[in-house]
Amino acid sequence: MSVTVSPVYLLDVGSNSAVEAELRDAIEEQQLADWEALWMPSLIDAIKRLHAAGVPRSKWPQSRHWIWRDKLQAIEQLLAHKTFSIVCRGETQGLMVVNLTKTARHQEQRGKPLAYVEYLENAPWNRPDLFTPPRYRGVGSLLIRAAIALSEDEEFKGRIGLHSLPQADRFYAEKCGMTDLGPDGGYQNLHYFEMTPEQAKAFVENGEG
Amino acid sequence: MSLSKRTMTLNLTDAEMSALEQLSAQKDISKTAVLRQALRLYQLVDARVARGEKLMFENEAKSEKAELMML
Repeated sequence: MSVTVSPVYLLDVGSNSAVEAELRDAIEEQQLADWEALWMPSLIDAIKRLHAAGVPRSKWPQSRHWIWRDKLQAIEQLLAHKTFSIVCRGETQGLMVVNLTKTARHQEQRGKPLAYVEYLENAPWNRPDLFTPPRYRGVGSLLIRAAIALSEDEEFKGRIGLHSLPQADRFYAEKCGMTDLGPDGGYQNLHYFEMTPEQAKAFVENGEG
Repeated sequence: MSLSKRTMTLNLTDAEMSALEQLSAQKDISKTAVLRQALRLYQLVDARVARGEKLMFENEAKSEKAELMML
């Protein structure tokens, strides 16, 4: 399978300047190796610092149990899922899996197909709750834009949906402008968010990233 | 991001075409997009059933569960 690589820009927080990165419509072996060799040690260091500082486990990164290699293996060869990654300066900065078989719950969109973001994770060093300052900004927004673009390519009009980990609720509500449809009792009570075609258009035109 | 696509001719009965057109209108996507969705779902369900999983329909209001048998 050929991989499409699109140029994108992240904000290098240290120098406060834009830096070129790649949006790739795949998660390949290099990204999984980066996750194992770079993300995991960084995440463990961050958790050690939180633990030493007496931060309760409920405040630790809620994606810490995600095993990306297993997630990719489970959807291998399936048309229902698309994967994306962002690479900057040779290192993976973000990963995302999108499921194309779900339908909208929003009252005005109910039953219409959408791109459901099954997993989206930023590299630990880009998370302001773990590293001060974070290394790059814009990864999450770029991945959400990629999900919207995929939704449009599939004729889903930019509709996307996702269940948010509590630490990301504000990002999806405030930065992405998605509608919070409340906690989902069928999904660990995580809040379910959707973006309508109008919200998608507004985010792409005005959003960050 | 768009991949190259291949074209095929599809022969459908009137009833099948009518159902396809209805779904296309309901879902607000083209007939091609409906068929692509159908293929994704069929492949996904087939793969999970092949792994030993079951496909169930649940009616919470009536507390009913029914297993869908895949051929």
